[in-house]
Order: sequence, then C-alpha cells, then structure tokens
Amino acid sequence: MCKKTIVLGVIGSDCHAVGNKILDKFYSDAGFNVINLGVMVSQDEFIDSAIETGAEAILVSSLYGHGEIDCMGFRERCTERGLEDIVLHVGGNLVVGKMDKARIVEKFKEMGYDRVYTPDVDLQICLEELRADLKC
Amino acid sequence: MEIQNKKIDKQDYLNGREEILAAWPTGQGVSIEEGVKFQESLPESKRFASVLNQAVKEKRVLIQPRAGVALVDEHIELLKFLEEESDLLPTTIDAYTRLNRYDEAQKGIDKSRAAGHSLLNGFPAVNHGIESCRRIIESISKPVEIRHGTPDARLLAEISYAAGFNSFEGGGISYNIPYAKNVPLEKSIRDWQFIDRLTGIYQEEGITINREPFGPLSGTLVPPFVSHSIAIIEGLLALEQGVKSITLGYGQAGNMIQDIAAMQSLTELAHKYFGEAGFKDYELSTVLHQWMGGFPEDEARAFSVIAWGSVVANFAGATKVIVKTPHEASGIPTKEANLQGLKATRQMIQMTHDQCYFNIAELALEKEMIHREVDAIMAAVFEAGKGDIAVGAVKAFEAGIIDVPFAPAACNYGKMLPVRDNTGAVRVFETGNTPLPSDVLNYHKEKIRERAAVEERDPCFQMVIDDIYAISKGRLVGRPR
Repeated sequence: MCKKTIVLGVIGSDCHAVGNKILDKFYSDAGFNVINLGVMVSQDEFIDSAIETGAEAILVSSLYGHGEIDCMGFRERCTERGLEDIVLHVGGNLVVGKMDKARIVEKFKEMGYDRVYTPDVDLQICLEELRADLKC
Repeated sequence: MEIQNKKIDKQDYLNGREEILAAWPTGQGVSIEEGVKFQESLPESKRFASVLNQAVKEKRVLIQPRAGVALVDEHIELLKFLEEESDLLPTTIDAYTRLNRYDEAQKGIDKSRAAGHSLLNGFPAVNHGIESCRRIIESISKPVEIRHGTPDARLLAEISYAAGFNSFEGGGISYNIPYAKNVPLEKSIRDWQFIDRLTGIYQEEGITINREPFGPLSGTLVPPFVSHSIAIIEGLLALEQGVKSITLGYGQAGNMIQDIAAMQSLTELAHKYFGEAGFKDYELSTVLHQWMGGFPEDEARAFSVIAWGSVVANFAGATKVIVKTPHEASGIPTKEANLQGLKATRQMIQMTHDQCYFNIAELALEKEMIHREVDAIMAAVFEAGKGDIAVGAVKAFEAGIIDVPFAPAACNYGKMLPVRDNTGAVRVFETGNTPLPSDVLNYHKEKIRERAAVEERDPCFQMVIDDIYAISKGRLVGRPR
C-alpha cells in the first residue's frame, strides 16, 4: 500500500462536495494520506497545504465549468513556489459546454497537468496512474 | 450575530441599503421607486406570480429551463432560443457572482469577449447592471426568474428587482448549506431576511415578487423530510418579512411513490405550518426539480432521466418543473435516433422495474411517514429556538437536528447518511442526531434490511456510493457489480 501524502480539493468558487467526499474515502481506503481541503480551494491554498504536509501530488477537481479559468497558471505557480516536481492531476467537468474529450485533455496537459480526467473515468484507473506517477 | 424571526423595520432596511449598494459600482443609484415603476410597466404575461397562480388554478405543470451565459446579447439570444418551449424563463447567475467576487466575474466577462464564447457558467447580473438587465426583460415575452446559489444576494436582489425580474430563488439556509463552505448560518439567514424584506417593500408598493426557496439542496439522496423542513422554515421566514408569493421546491429522488408523496405532503405541511403561524394571505405553488444528481453521459439515456422527472412532476401535481438538458429532439427518426429511442426506453425500464405497480396504500403510508418526520423535526427546531424559527434553525443545524447529506458547509452537521431501499426510495441509514420517532426509524431500517437481503451484503458506505452513481450508470438502485 502506498502511504504517500496527497492533497485533494475542488478549485476556485466551486462548491460541488459529493465527488470530493467520495474521492477522499476512495484514496484513503487505498492507503494514501489524504489531505482533503474540501470545496472552494484557491491555487495558493493547494500549494500551502502541499508544502506544509510534504505532499507529492495535488488532485484538483472542478465540476462547475470555470475549470479553464481556475486551473490556468497553476503549474507555473507551483514551480514559482518551489514545487517543481509535484504531480498534478485534474478531473471533472472542466470547461463550459460540450467539448471533445481529446481537446479537453490536450488543453489541460498543455497547462502542465500530468493527468486529465473526464467524469466517466473509472476511479481504479486514476488510482493506478497516481501510483505510477508517484512510483509506489 | 443575533438573529430573530421578526419583520425588519422599513426604515432600518432603507438605512442599511447604502452599504449593500456600495459593494460594486453598478449598485450606485439603484432606486426602489424606479424599480417599482418599471415593474408596473410589465404586462401580466411577464409577471411570475400571475402566471404561477393561473397554473395552480388550471392544474397545469409549467416548464422552466436553467440558462445563463456571460454576455448580455448572447444571454438574450439563448433565452429567445428557449422561449417558445418554456412557460417560465430563468437567468442563471455565474458562480463568481454567487460568492460576491465581482472582480473575478469581470475577468470572466472580458475573457469571454476575447474567446468569443462564454467562459462563465452563468450571467453576471451585478456586473452588467440595471440597464443591461432590463434589456433582457424587454426582449423576452415571458416571466424571468433569477436562479443562483448566493449566500449573500442582497445586492443581486436590489439590482434584479429594479431591473424587472420578478421571481428570485434562494433562502438563508438553502443557499448556504449546499453552496458555501464557511458562511455562518446566522449571517446567511440574516442576509436573506433583508432580501425578503426588500420583496415585502415591493409588495407594499403593489408589486408581487415570487420567492422560491431552493428545494434540492445537495441534490444527493436528500430524504424528503430534510428538504421539506428547510422549505417550511424559509417559507415562514419569508412570510414574516412580507413576502406573499412563495414556491416551495423538492428535488426528484427517483422512486415515484416517494416523490409523489413528497410533493403532496410539501403543500399540505406548508399550509399547516404557515396557518399555525397566523399567515393566511399568501399564494403557494410548488416546483419539482428533475433529478439533480449525476446523469448518464449518453444523451439518449439522459433523456430518459429527464422524462422520468416529467412523469413525476405531472403525477405529483407540481406547479412547475425545472428541466435538465438535453431537450427532446423532433422530426422523422434516422436510424441513429431510433437507437436512441431504444436506449431511452431501456433506461426507463431499468429505473422503474423495481417499483412495478402504483399502490394507493403505499402512497398514503409514505405521506404519513413524511408528515411525522417533518413534525418531529419542526417540533425540535421550535424547541431549540424557544419558539423563534430563525434562532431554532441555527441551533438545529449546530445540533444536527437538521442535517443535509453531502453538503459542503462547515455549519452542517454531516452525520446523517441516506441510502436507497430496494425500491429506490431514499431512507435514513445512519441517523446522526435527527430526532425521528423510533417507529419511523424502524420503518427506514426495515426497508434498508430488505434491500441488503436481496443484495446479500450489509448496508455500508459502498452501498451509498453505488446509489450516488447508479442513475449515471443506468439504474436507480446501486446494485453490487
């Protein structure tokens, strides 16, 4: 079991709490030390928490459509604050309106996210990929 | 902060509003007098309360979508596109405005202009201001409601009312618990008392503005008695401030008998509690929200969920139904559309096959349960507040007497856990501190045991998670894989 620390939260002004509570339970059951910041988390709050807890990954959720605005510049901000190697995952309904999945993934990978998930993803895949990214 | 359920003195409201209006430049110079004049100029067909009253009389179910984009012209275009198929229209507000982050909303407007499409999830009415908002009202031939999720919507209300919107969704509990993280309940209840008072001031000038507490809350397996208790409390708080037109809401849970029982008991219980508090002069209507939880990705399957909500709204006698997307397509079917019809049918069959008959005795039993549950909660709330429903509401949340499942707010107790029974009705699995009578709780437990036996597993959190994802995966009850 991988006991590494990960930070979890819903970014921006988004208050969707249900998936967040489920992810918390899911990753905790998988053995991770989950720091769950809950809903409405700013980029700097994610980073503060990761620095404070020595987390190796930040898992960002966004359900309400503002993901594109809220997630912009996060990778740069992490680097700026000394988290050059942090693993960044993002998932949810990331943009306003219907957009081709491949385009969404491409868009967010360009922003510097290591993994990009849409809502239909099997959580087991997220878990396996997180373990691969953290080499555990 | 001390609150009480007492009508705010008109002069106190007027003295306090300068500060509210100063929060953003578009608030400057908002005049209630001008607002009343503009509202007076609107024909009956654009008056929300009138259209609702007519529907109640005729026992019609009105149809209303959700819709809102960043820019004014695009928003008008969107509403015009939906206008013919809707009885009532919305202006759904973006998430930044909901948190009073008007500077971020402005960035969203600017970025949307640059991108050529909306990057905001709603219409930032405060940033656009009265003149722009009036263009919406002038362009549309039907009543338009402001729908949002704003814990402190005082400025939004001032601007919306003056701009001619005459229905306003929300309440001090229902727009805090599911929409905020750290807003104290006494603050949001107080702020919404101000909004209800503003509504009352318009009413005194002869302008009825409809108020609609938000029924579905977290939209996730909320037992009817939880949302009903909150709807009744918000109704009482609104009536005290002079509101006359109230629409109480409920989010479709999925089991038809429970949903019909919920809608019928909502009206009965509201009249009972409003009457007991001495209110007689009010107009009551109801709204059913089609399934507010996760939807199937496949549009044909989604259509089936939408259709099921429509069935319930109709049988439950809702005054209006809030519609999820996609809309029904029309025309001669292609082979692809034919396939979609099959999928939609399958989704419907899988959702209904556990509840294969419609039994009046069952309906009566479900209604009795909801009545007894709400009476138990309301008695505890009144007791906690020593007779004051505003104080009682705050204390009830602190104590977990009222507990909304899967809500983000820190002031929500968060210990009560729901799960579906074998027919998909939502039951209380972990009671938390909700003061339900023991025989009612036993009824819940027995229903859950029936399901557990069928599935050959103990009731557990995994069962709850399975339920949360069940509809998006094609069924009502989250059966084991």
